[in-house]
Amino acid sequence: MKCSGKTLAFKILLYAGLILQASIWIAPVFTLLATSLKSKKDFYSGLGLFNMPSHIAWENYMAVLKKGNMLSYMKNDAIICLLKVPLGIFLEAMAAFSLTRLRLRHRTGIFIFFIIGMMLPMQVALVPISIVYKKLNLFNTYFGLFYVYVAFGLSFGIMVLRGFFISIPRELDEAAYIDGCSKMQVFTKIILPVSKPAIATLVISDFLATWNEYMLASIIITKDEMKTIPTGILNFVGQYSTDYGGLCAGVLISLLPVLTVYLVFQKYFVAGMAGAIKQ
Amino acid sequence: MQSKHSEPAAILFLLPAGIIYVSAILFPIAYSLYLSLFTGSGINNWEFCGMQNYVKLLQDKVFLLSLRNSVIWMMLTLVFTTSFSLLLALILNRRFFGRTFFRGLFYFPTVIAMIAVAIIWRWIYHPNLGFINQFSKAVGLNFSQTWLSNPKSSLIACFVAAQWTAVGQPMILFLAGLQGISEDVIEAARIDGAKGLKLFFSITIPLLKNTFVVVLSTLMIGALKIFDIIVGLTDGGPNNASQVIASYMYSQTFEYSHWGYGASIACFMVLIMLIIIVPYVSFMARDT
Repeated sequence: MKCSGKTLAFKILLYAGLILQASIWIAPVFTLLATSLKSKKDFYSGLGLFNMPSHIAWENYMAVLKKGNMLSYMKNDAIICLLKVPLGIFLEAMAAFSLTRLRLRHRTGIFIFFIIGMMLPMQVALVPISIVYKKLNLFNTYFGLFYVYVAFGLSFGIMVLRGFFISIPRELDEAAYIDGCSKMQVFTKIILPVSKPAIATLVISDFLATWNEYMLASIIITKDEMKTIPTGILNFVGQYSTDYGGLCAGVLISLLPVLTVYLVFQKYFVAGMAGAIKQ
Repeated sequence: MQSKHSEPAAILFLLPAGIIYVSAILFPIAYSLYLSLFTGSGINNWEFCGMQNYVKLLQDKVFLLSLRNSVIWMMLTLVFTTSFSLLLALILNRRFFGRTFFRGLFYFPTVIAMIAVAIIWRWIYHPNLGFINQFSKAVGLNFSQTWLSNPKSSLIACFVAAQWTAVGQPMILFLAGLQGISEDVIEAARIDGAKGLKLFFSITIPLLKNTFVVVLSTLMIGALKIFDIIVGLTDGGPNNASQVIASYMYSQTFEYSHWGYGASIACFMVLIMLIIIVPYVSFMARDT
């Protein structure tokens, strides 16, 4: 065994390093919070970031909620997520079911065909989507956003679910077929329930990707009342460019949903993200 | 296991995903490729110009600058993000008090939208009120400067801001990889006399091969796609100093309305991506 002096020195060094990094990691949130609680008067009097404000300016938060469109951005984002996440995963699961459990020619080829989309840049779809959406009047619609989000989620979802479905023993389906189940029943009553862990992973990663997507939303949504949080927040920052307290309060409010989800489901995030690349 | 014929149900189950995939991913790629041979914008006013866009592309100083910046970003990612997240994973794989807390803390920025990260870091870099310059004033060392509007520092400032959210994901992947290494292997190597760095480089690293493939390819692909953070922090400025290919494509298409030219930049991006994707996909599609 090593002498305890050396171990102790190592421990101190370890914690010092971790605490230093933790402070850097918290600094951005601290900056937001400290700025959001200062009143306009404090800024004019040149109060520094590390000074206590003359009073805690909760009114910044109230003003943002009353005046800004923050709640409407959240509503739009929630509607898109509620449409996209379950439907997208259902379609991905159907494709993965076909790729792993049904008699299919060129299954590896078809799988590769599907996962190539994961790596392609979304930029390549921007000009065609602008042209087609203009013709079909799909700008500023939930459907317009929903459709491309489902499409860009397919590759990752199919990859994760195929990986999971392969590991489910075939005896399960065979027993169900003998009991007289149809293929659709085997899919919905056997495979989907067994795959809860993989589906939980996908729900979380899909939710994050959809909730946070900026580029496609910035093209497809131009009306303020249809904007999701990432596009709305940029608009908001433009409007509040001189009201620092309000600006930081608004940004913090916009982070609340996603941070709450993270705190509640933290376990699944970490386990799921790692499981997604299980080999 | 390959089959001679497909059963109808197999096709039916694939169909919905297939239709959406083809119509919203593959068709746009083909259409972009076609449009890249035209100059024009909007719905009409398209004029065939052959390979002119690509010729122009290779002579476009700003494009070459943004390509260079994207390559710099990728190199920095491969060296810095990879080693930093591996280091964190190695530390957080040890047993000590507070380990779960630190894991959760270092991962949390990953869930925040990139565009929000950019807005937050604008505050960190703010010339008067930002954390960095205020901090430098508070500790009495004057290293404050205009981080984002200085062409020398703007790209690096964006990169540093991106690290806040970028290390969480590879850190978790490395942690999973490390947990997959059995204690017995490490113990056996120890008995054979491997220690410290030697143990790390000749046992741990080779056993993490699969994890490295996934981490490096996703980081490279992610680096080429980097967009939100640049748009939110500098919008490619000052004077294109922090422009990357994705943001340049976007600004050419939607700010300058050079749609055909934008499409040719997008196609060029696909070409670069394919160089990374093809080996990666063949790795992921192994049948086991």
